Amino acid sequence: MAASLPMRATVPAAGSGVKQHASWSPYDDNGGTVVAVAGDDYCVVAASTRMSTGYSILTRNKSKILTFNPKCLIASAGMQADMETLHKVLHSRHVTYQFNHRRPMGCQAMAQLLSNTLYHKRFFPYYTFNLCAGLDEQGRGAVYTYDAIGSYERVGYGCQGSGKELIQPVLDNQLKAASPLVLPAQQWLSSLPLEQAVDLVKGAFVSAGERDIYTGDDVEILILTKDGIRTDKLELKRD
Amino acid sequence: MLPRPQSHSAALGPGCTGPSLANPTPLGLEPRPVRHASQAPACGAEAFVVDPVALANGQPRKHTQYPYVTGTSVLGITYKDGVLLASDTLGAYGSTKRYKAFERLRKVNDACVVGASGELSDFQFIMRLLEELSDDDFCMDDGHRLKPAEVHSYLTRVLYNRRNKMDPLWNSIVVGGFYAGKPFLGTVGMIGTSYTDAHLATGFGNHLARPLMREKHRPDMSEEEATALMHECLKVCYYRDKNSINRFQLAKVTADGVSVSEPFALETKWGYKLFQDPAANAVGTW
Amino acid sequence: MADQGGFSFDLCKRNEFMEARGMKGPGFTKTGTTIAGVIFKDGVVLGADTRSTAGTTVADKNCEKIHYIAPNIYCCGAGTAADTENVTGMVASQLELHRYATGTQSRVITSMTLLKSHLFKYQGHVSAALVLGGVDFRGPHLFTVYPHGSTDSLPFCTMGSGSLNAMAVFESGYKDDMTKEEAMDLVARAIRSGIFNDLGSGSNVDLCVITKEGVDYKRNHEFLQGKPYERQFPQKFATGSVPVVRERVFDVRRAVTVVEGEPMEMEG
Repeated sequence: MAASLPMRATVPAAGSGVKQHASWSPYDDNGGTVVAVAGDDYCVVAASTRMSTGYSILTRNKSKILTFNPKCLIASAGMQADMETLHKVLHSRHVTYQFNHRRPMGCQAMAQLLSNTLYHKRFFPYYTFNLCAGLDEQGRGAVYTYDAIGSYERVGYGCQGSGKELIQPVLDNQLKAASPLVLPAQQWLSSLPLEQAVDLVKGAFVSAGERDIYTGDDVEILILTKDGIRTDKLELKRD
Repeated sequence: MLPRPQSHSAALGPGCTGPSLANPTPLGLEPRPVRHASQAPACGAEAFVVDPVALANGQPRKHTQYPYVTGTSVLGITYKDGVLLASDTLGAYGSTKRYKAFERLRKVNDACVVGASGELSDFQFIMRLLEELSDDDFCMDDGHRLKPAEVHSYLTRVLYNRRNKMDPLWNSIVVGGFYAGKPFLGTVGMIGTSYTDAHLATGFGNHLARPLMREKHRPDMSEEEATALMHECLKVCYYRDKNSINRFQLAKVTADGVSVSEPFALETKWGYKLFQDPAANAVGTW
Repeated sequence: MADQGGFSFDLCKRNEFMEARGMKGPGFTKTGTTIAGVIFKDGVVLGADTRSTAGTTVADKNCEKIHYIAPNIYCCGAGTAADTENVTGMVASQLELHRYATGTQSRVITSMTLLKSHLFKYQGHVSAALVLGGVDFRGPHLFTVYPHGSTDSLPFCTMGSGSLNAMAVFESGYKDDMTKEEAMDLVARAIRSGIFNDLGSGSNVDLCVITKEGVDYKRNHEFLQGKPYERQFPQKFATGSVPVVRERVFDVRRAVTVVEGEPMEMEG
């Protein structure tokens, strides 16, 4: 895990060259998985709540989701300190936006703001992998997926974090990803009814929890519809 | 030359443009005088402060990039009517037991204590920041004081901003407190990683004490039960952490305020049969 | 060359050269592990979790980490799976031959010496961290063997990535002269501590109780957690979803003759 982190500062000890010495990295991977599925009139967002470093669990109950308003939220995996900071920045921007515009920020606007915020730190990036999810102007589900430095795209469903290699192919298979190359352009929304989408997400998390050591403990699930946000919880294995 | 914009916060240090409202002045408009009162000339002129960057010949600063005098694990648990924090009193210089009476648990105000592992001079610096904030609260004399969650959040920002400057404060800090009838227990690491939980441990304690806490901790424990659990955890950490000594302090935060105990030792047992005669089973080999 | 036995180092120089040019060698299955053992009044209890990992993914959810050494000796292994399996297998075979030659029960100290000699010879490159336990005519023995070949004789010991978590339980719960039940509970608790606190360890608890009377190998002594959720809308394929292209029916009885008789003797 540490090998893939981008930066490592070491301080050579005085005297001998090969002596053991403390080193530190400004980055850490705290693990965890986030998933979002958009439907015709809903959006399901789920995130595991285990927070770990190396081989140890720091806490079993740490939320990775920041809800701005009933139609927009973000979920982030990666490094917790960067995630917390990013969430603080976006929260503050959202409050300011509401003062200026007298309405909550829409999902599309938040998606662009998140991209700009990430790219702002292009050369010392936030080590976070985000999903921005919610309902768009027409009330359809919207999911935006990002890399760490702000490249983003709107998708029908998305998965980020330590379990993405396990979950993404399942979602691809079950939700029939339309290739962007197919002409005429295909509809990207999930065609599943809400209950089936929630069931699929739960099933995906259970399987990821079996095989990914960083995914476990609990999953918090947020279901966004025109009636507001409903929350659900799924318990995973704790080993 | 125009002065470089300075942040208000001593935590961020010179040359950092933090948000201007991070630490609002009482008068609102008047810029606050420089905080380092001891270094500021009495005539009111600009303080002459050596910029450490200038000393390092343009290279990044290297001191404080390596921990010198360190403290080991700090443990914390919540219980029925408050929070317990515990640590030993060792300041280790490498593997030398250099300072054996260093108090690593400190009171912030009547609702909050902090405990630190890691570089102890950095901890003293952090305590100075918190004391400044507490002094401000005292001077305002309106009865307000920092809540435990605010102290925790503040330390998160301080440590995170220092890691952003690639000049970290080499600590893991535990914040314990009691506010509005609820116990608070949170921790911050040297790169700003932070979380709250019903029980916590830094460093080695995360491997040795946390498993016992996860087995035995309940949020509705009595003070006696919580103290017994804490003693057990301290003892296990002492047995298996070579950078620790049998001299501990226990801090308690309840609705009645903060108390930090006098240092005490725990009873240990080394007399298991095979410990006394380790060669008993090794007859016939080397 | 092959008939000399031992490892082949033929391609070491080539691999070193290629790695310097940026080649990445194959990865190994490491068992991020919790293993532990305790001496009680009249025997030894060994314990292990059953997760094996490859990087951050779980390779095997129910593997066996308590290996056979001799009828009265077993050995838990942590480290690289291939090394622990082979090093214990080699020692087991040497002891088997030794028993044929001498006609006496193997001693724990002998197996410990064989293990440490082998591991020391390879200077830590054979990465096996072991907890070795058994009972011989001198009574119960428990050793840890480190990958570089050093050994410890202890009343309780742990190894692997969850060793500290398990050791915390031992330090708070061990006492001299425990009963078999107390010892089994303590070891199971120590392994559980590794399973729930160490990400490299997981799944079930295996125990192995060795006394003068014999061995009680409790595979999956504790099954800790089942699947926490069953799909409400599982994917079902209706019968006939897959078209049958061709069909052939064989009568097995014409090709095979079943002979009645005693099965061949497997165990000595």
